[in-house]
Amino acid sequence: MGQYLPILMLLVLAVVFAALSFFASRLLAPRRPTAAKSAPYECGIVPSREPPERFPVRFYLIAMIFIVFDIEIIFLYPYAVIHRELGGFGLVEMAVFVVAVFAAFVYLIANGALDWGPVKHLRRVDPRVSTSRTAATTVRRVGLEGREPETGEAA
Amino acid sequence: MVELTWVIPALPLLGFLLLLAFGRRLGDPLAGWLATATVGGSFAATVVVFLGLRGADGGDAHRYTQTLFTWLPAGGFSVDVGFLVDPLSITMCLFVTGTAALIHLYSIGYMHGDEGFSRFFVYMNLFVFSMLVLVLGDNLLLTFLGWEGVGACSYFLIAFWHTKEANASAGKKAFVTNRIGDWGYLVAILLTFFALGSITYTDIFAGAGGLATTTATAIAVLLVIGAIGKSAQLPLYVWLPDAMAGPTPVSALIHAATMVTAGVYLLTRMNPVIAQASPWVSTTIAVVGAATALFAATVAVAQHDIKRVLAYSTVSQLGYMFLAVGSGAYVAAIFHMVTHAFFKALLFLGSGSVIHGMGGEQDMRRMGGLRALMPVTAATFIVGWLAIAGVPPFSGFWSKDEVLLFAWEKHPLLWAVGLVTALLTAFYMGRLVFLTFFGEPRWRRAGTHPGGEAEQSAAEVADDGGGATSTATAVTAVAAEQEVHPHESPWTMTVPLVVLAGLSLLGGVINLSFLSRLQVLEHWLEPVVEAGEHHLDSSSGVKLGLAVVATVASLVGIGLASVLYLRRSAADRPAEPDILLEGWHYDQAVSAFAGGPGRRFFDATTWFDRHIVDGAVNGVAALIRGLGGVARGLQSGYVRSYALGVAAGAVVLVAVFVLRGVAL
Amino acid sequence: MTLGLLAQAGDGVAPIDTPGVAWSALSPILVLIGGAIVLLVVGALAPRRSRIGWHAMLTVAVAGGTIAAVVPLWDRVHDDGPYSAVASAVGVDGFSLFVTVVIAVAVAIAALLTDGYLRREGLEGPEPYVLMLLSAAGAVMMASANDLIVMFLGLEIMSIAVYVLAGLHLRRRRSGEAAVKYFVLGSFSSAFFLYGVALVYGATGSTNLVRIARFLAANTLADQGLLIAGFALLLVGFGFKVAAVPFHSWTPDVYQGSPSPIVAFMASGVKAGGFAGLLRVFVATFGTYRLDWQPVVYGIAVLSLVVGAVLAVVQTDVKRMLAYSSINHAGFILIGVQAATDEGVTAALFYLAAYTFMVAGAFGVVTVVGRRGDGHHHLDDYQGLARRQPLLALVFAIFLLAQAGVPLTSGFLAKFYVVEAAIEARSFWLALVAMVSAVVSAFLYLRIVLVMYAGAGDGADTDPAAGRPRLAVPAAAAIALVVAVAATIGIGLVPDPLTRTARDATPELVAASD
Repeated sequence: MGQYLPILMLLVLAVVFAALSFFASRLLAPRRPTAAKSAPYECGIVPSREPPERFPVRFYLIAMIFIVFDIEIIFLYPYAVIHRELGGFGLVEMAVFVVAVFAAFVYLIANGALDWGPVKHLRRVDPRVSTSRTAATTVRRVGLEGREPETGEAA
Repeated sequence: MVELTWVIPALPLLGFLLLLAFGRRLGDPLAGWLATATVGGSFAATVVVFLGLRGADGGDAHRYTQTLFTWLPAGGFSVDVGFLVDPLSITMCLFVTGTAALIHLYSIGYMHGDEGFSRFFVYMNLFVFSMLVLVLGDNLLLTFLGWEGVGACSYFLIAFWHTKEANASAGKKAFVTNRIGDWGYLVAILLTFFALGSITYTDIFAGAGGLATTTATAIAVLLVIGAIGKSAQLPLYVWLPDAMAGPTPVSALIHAATMVTAGVYLLTRMNPVIAQASPWVSTTIAVVGAATALFAATVAVAQHDIKRVLAYSTVSQLGYMFLAVGSGAYVAAIFHMVTHAFFKALLFLGSGSVIHGMGGEQDMRRMGGLRALMPVTAATFIVGWLAIAGVPPFSGFWSKDEVLLFAWEKHPLLWAVGLVTALLTAFYMGRLVFLTFFGEPRWRRAGTHPGGEAEQSAAEVADDGGGATSTATAVTAVAAEQEVHPHESPWTMTVPLVVLAGLSLLGGVINLSFLSRLQVLEHWLEPVVEAGEHHLDSSSGVKLGLAVVATVASLVGIGLASVLYLRRSAADRPAEPDILLEGWHYDQAVSAFAGGPGRRFFDATTWFDRHIVDGAVNGVAALIRGLGGVARGLQSGYVRSYALGVAAGAVVLVAVFVLRGVAL
Repeated sequence: MTLGLLAQAGDGVAPIDTPGVAWSALSPILVLIGGAIVLLVVGALAPRRSRIGWHAMLTVAVAGGTIAAVVPLWDRVHDDGPYSAVASAVGVDGFSLFVTVVIAVAVAIAALLTDGYLRREGLEGPEPYVLMLLSAAGAVMMASANDLIVMFLGLEIMSIAVYVLAGLHLRRRRSGEAAVKYFVLGSFSSAFFLYGVALVYGATGSTNLVRIARFLAANTLADQGLLIAGFALLLVGFGFKVAAVPFHSWTPDVYQGSPSPIVAFMASGVKAGGFAGLLRVFVATFGTYRLDWQPVVYGIAVLSLVVGAVLAVVQTDVKRMLAYSSINHAGFILIGVQAATDEGVTAALFYLAAYTFMVAGAFGVVTVVGRRGDGHHHLDDYQGLARRQPLLALVFAIFLLAQAGVPLTSGFLAKFYVVEAAIEARSFWLALVAMVSAVVSAFLYLRIVLVMYAGAGDGADTDPAAGRPRLAVPAAAAIALVVAVAATIGIGLVPDPLTRTARDATPELVAASD
């Protein structure tokens, strides 16, 4: 049983750390809410109903890119510690790894994953995908199912 | 000269390829001539090979294997693409290429003006090629290839006019039914391989004697299943009558003369294995054959469509061949196959000529009196009729007599069934001939007829049908009446008829049974079938007696038919308005003749055919659909239920594994 | 490992015992991954649209390079026998090389089909090709893995790339749905697989297939429970990847929703990878315990054969039909697995190779017929195709008939060999079920063929073909279809080279000599 004790302790520590950070932010952050501030969109229009919580999908992208670099660090740090012991083998392996990550990085930058600002269209929008927004939601209508072909709505 | 064997199938293949590439450009009728020329050349090559084989003498000289290349080599399972030329295969080749050439010639006239003219000949040449591969293949797998090939061509040709939904579904039915038979054949191949280590015929002949009875029985039963499917025997015959949806030359070539006899060929080819199997196998074959022969003959009596009569007649005659095979009369089976090819091809082509002349009409109730207008067709048709009815000295008499003789030795009951079938055959064929070529023309209702009670006759048409058919038939009849001008067909169609009529008349000479010296076919085929051939021990008196009885039966059948359909019709010809009504009276007279229940019996067999047998085939399809529909409910589209399914499967798997582990 | 720790404890720089990497042995995988990376970078920097489809060309070139990399390895295996590399983690034998070639071919055909598809849907970009190459690399890794961990790695690389590919069509909701379904269920099954790996490790003390095989041959386990449960869970993982009943439920939805050229790859490449792993783990490694797992595989094979054939008959969507028929085909290949003999493996490999061409070609035609929006997959859309585009209809008919097992096509021989192997292994009933299911599924293929050739059906007055535009067959797709047809017919006519090759390609587990 004793051999599992460190794992148990790690588990407890992880839970405690998460809980602590959560409460700490609550306690420490200044809270001076006004009606306009707590509205989901600061656009001047008073929302008529409780909106679903939304935030740009871009955040996910950033989070994922972060994880990639996180993993790179996790790999690189131990390697830096024992790179002598690993010798040539380690160097080659790391090179392979870094090349792969770098290639992904180039791809991300080239596709504008790190551009922050107004949405840039990567390519011309298919004319049959409506660029106008529907009345019901703010989401642009996409997809071709159930749509009359070539309605000319796009114009 | 036997080295030329490869030419026999190569020529139709060449024709097929040429037509595939240039068929459209050649057009009508050049494409037809090209196809005919290649098949004719194939026939010539067959004759050359035949003469070469004939000339060789002694021992194994009558068997020649030509290996082209190794198809599936390596390891224990090796298959060559090679041709086996022996008396059996060359006999088959002779009549296959011969009738095929004639039917190709005929088709040039028959298909003239059809938009699919060149496509038709593409399929036809492919069919001939496949059939020759089937016959000449030196191993079971190659034969199977041909077997599938002819099947495929058959579906294509049945559905040739595929714009009609019924034709497409007929093609589908043929496919599904045949698949059941193919399955039996395929398993038989595998079993043969595991029992003998080879599927080459020469090895099979050599090794069959050493087979265990159970193994041989299993192989034989599976082969019989395959043969039943292909040769349209009970209970898998349903596809053949429906297959008449195709063009008539197709019916003549594929569904009468050649393809459907493939089952009989296969059983004859494998006779050493059947000889090694339990006796009940051959008895089963004989019983299936006899039952099919009788059943189909009774159904044929009640048909109105001229091609359906011939279709059921084909099923019935194939039953004869099965009866022969089951009785150990392989020579007689092949003999009957050859003569049947002649006269049935003739009859089908004749009916095609009639249909052609009548502008597409197939209902015998609206024919009659065509004898004078289509003299060649009528004369040749009558020859075919007498041949199938078994009237001496026409070819059918000799072959049918042989079959019946062997059936007698197998069991008198089988003989009796065969005899009744012979009587019925003579009867329904007589009915067909009298309704079509004799009596009062029933297609003529307006204009040209000098006797001209046009209005009245047309009114009769509307009246006489009485039941469900009346309105529909009357409408089509009226619509067609302007166009119906029966005429004799062009020479490309009549020449094949005449040649086939000659063969039907004289075909019997290849195996005249009364003198041993004259039994040419029997001596010729002897080395191939010696393992399975039953040897007759009846005295010549019995033989003669049986022949006389059979002849009498045929004559009685013809006589009955003429009483019911010919004489009355002739007598009533002057009597005007009732003539078509009388036509119906004849059918009622049939009921009266057969004693009331007779008619009901015929109807019942038709009903049985339509509902039970057809229903069984459709039912299986429906059952599968039903099952699928139920199972489809499980496919809800929800990930959670799929995950549940995967998890449940995993649990079951673990449980099975662990429980088995515990049990062990 | 202990050595490394000790070295760290001391001050001296003692080199860690690192495995020698035989780069040559990994060359097929390296070519695939390297090609993917190059394509990714170049594709990101170059404009997305171009008149010549160089993305697809490069992908085909990479696939060709993979095959070229296999050739010297094949020769070496042929001369010196199989060997393994990277501390016995990767095996190089005829089996892995054969499957590698099959997968490379699948990639090449799928890439050719994808090009036209992407242009038609306005989705141009290098991503699909990159993902396809990565997925193929994973599949190759599965085929050559000599270690359960490596196999899992391969499985995940292969699968994750395909999950994304399934959702390739951004504007089709079904495509996204397919991706999510595939991802959720796929991860679920991967968990089973991983658990199975753990249990097998617990029972045998190793994840290395060579060592496991040796261990099982040398020792008799007092308690087999752990090992057997491991078998079951591994089988769940493989069964899911190859779409065998009862782990098939995702197949119709995912096949229907995913972009058609991607399905061509899924049904050929991914399936090949899954079966390669299955054969490697069960037949080659757990061969001594075959009496334990054979009956279960037998059952799965029977279920797949029956369910695949029967359910396919009631579908009206051609993609779903082909999905069910792929389940049926999985059942056939499982027959070869179940036999657990060299003949069985040969037959399964032959089947995989033949099936790759048939199914990729079939989905190629589906891609073309699907038209813009990839939504025209109902049977009605095929009505009268023979009249409008006889050549396309003929090609599709050939693929369908080959799948039905019509002689003179590769499909017939594939089925024949599998059934032969089953009979040789004395599984007569399985052979019978297989043949019956072949009959039932023949009905299904014929249904499509008849719809294409029967044309207007009953209503001759309204020709459904009238209002339809002529389908454009892109040049790349045409090349793919021609190749697939040529292979399907060619293998059917002259199967000898393939048979011979497949016979040389039975898996052999060899420990590393280094």
